[in-house]
Amino acid sequence: MTNSSSPLPYQDTKPQGAADFYFAVNATFRFLLNKLGPAGWRRYLADMGRGYFAPVNRQWQEGGLPAVARYWRAFFAAEPGAEVNVVEAADRVEVHVQVCPAIKHLRAGGREIVREFCSHCYHLGQARAEAAGLTMRLAGGNGSCRHTFARLEAGLAPQDMAQIAEATS
Amino acid sequence: MIGCYDFCAHYEWTFAWLEREGGHALVRAYWHEAINLDSQRHARDLIMREGFAGMAKYWGHTLAEESPDLGFAITQKPDVFRVDMHDCPSKGFLIRNGIQQYSDYCDHCMGWIGPLLKDAGFVVDHEHNHCGQCWWELRRAGDTTPVTPAGATAGEKDVRFRPEWTQPGAKVDRYEKATDPDDKRSDATSNF
Repeated sequence: MTNSSSPLPYQDTKPQGAADFYFAVNATFRFLLNKLGPAGWRRYLADMGRGYFAPVNRQWQEGGLPAVARYWRAFFAAEPGAEVNVVEAADRVEVHVQVCPAIKHLRAGGREIVREFCSHCYHLGQARAEAAGLTMRLAGGNGSCRHTFARLEAGLAPQDMAQIAEATS
Repeated sequence: MIGCYDFCAHYEWTFAWLEREGGHALVRAYWHEAINLDSQRHARDLIMREGFAGMAKYWGHTLAEESPDLGFAITQKPDVFRVDMHDCPSKGFLIRNGIQQYSDYCDHCMGWIGPLLKDAGFVVDHEHNHCGQCWWELRRAGDTTPVTPAGATAGEKDVRFRPEWTQPGAKVDRYEKATDPDDKRSDATSNF
């Protein structure tokens, strides 16, 4: 099944995914952190960003910031429970996540959320942005946050990891 | 962010990443520790506590959520719980999108369900054809019932009656009274 008009690289027959899969994402992080340590977990995310997301990275590289904005609107429309606003500016796209669907569902399910959960969006997002000739920053977390995808010439300050909140259950 | 919409695709990618990182042992450990003991602990708790009734609650809910078109059939009898998957939403997603990074995505089910059922006191007869069709019969450990022929448990809902079961490209892997993902016979010709 393909839909060439969709900015998402893969298409399902359902409009949204099954939220219980967030349990597996959280459990995967816990497993990797325990088995491989923080550096191994970050390597997993960077490899996923460059490898698994390569089709999206190419879209972003070819389509620039408008392609980034289209992607995130489509992405969060397919994530159950997300409340997100995507704001486009000349040199950046900001993804304002009012309700993170993953944190929301993990809490509703009574799951112990790995404290590093929110920083996965930075490690993954920066790898994807870099592959597309962009840069990414993250602020906030623990249920709501702001992702910024920008042109290099936007001159964003380096990521301050202290600006990313630890997740709590 | 890692999403749930394309979960099956990055889940499958993760198997291949883990295998490169730590070999088959790390993939097995992932299925058992991350999926069985952690992610799917709600299924584990239900089945450990309620046995067949817990299986019906878990798979009745999960398969309906993942496969709203009901591309599956559940058959319950006093001594067996059976699932016939006619159109696996998970493998189907991969097939439709042309995704394959790991050698056999279908193994992940036995990877986490097998150890769960072992702890709960059950064994599995199972076949999958790598095309989005499979069947499972779960029985109490020690049950010596031979693997049932097509139709014996599920009647016409038995996936082995569907033409897709033997479609071009189908290759049947088989488990008999198993709980270990490595107890697979890949030379199987479905003749149950």
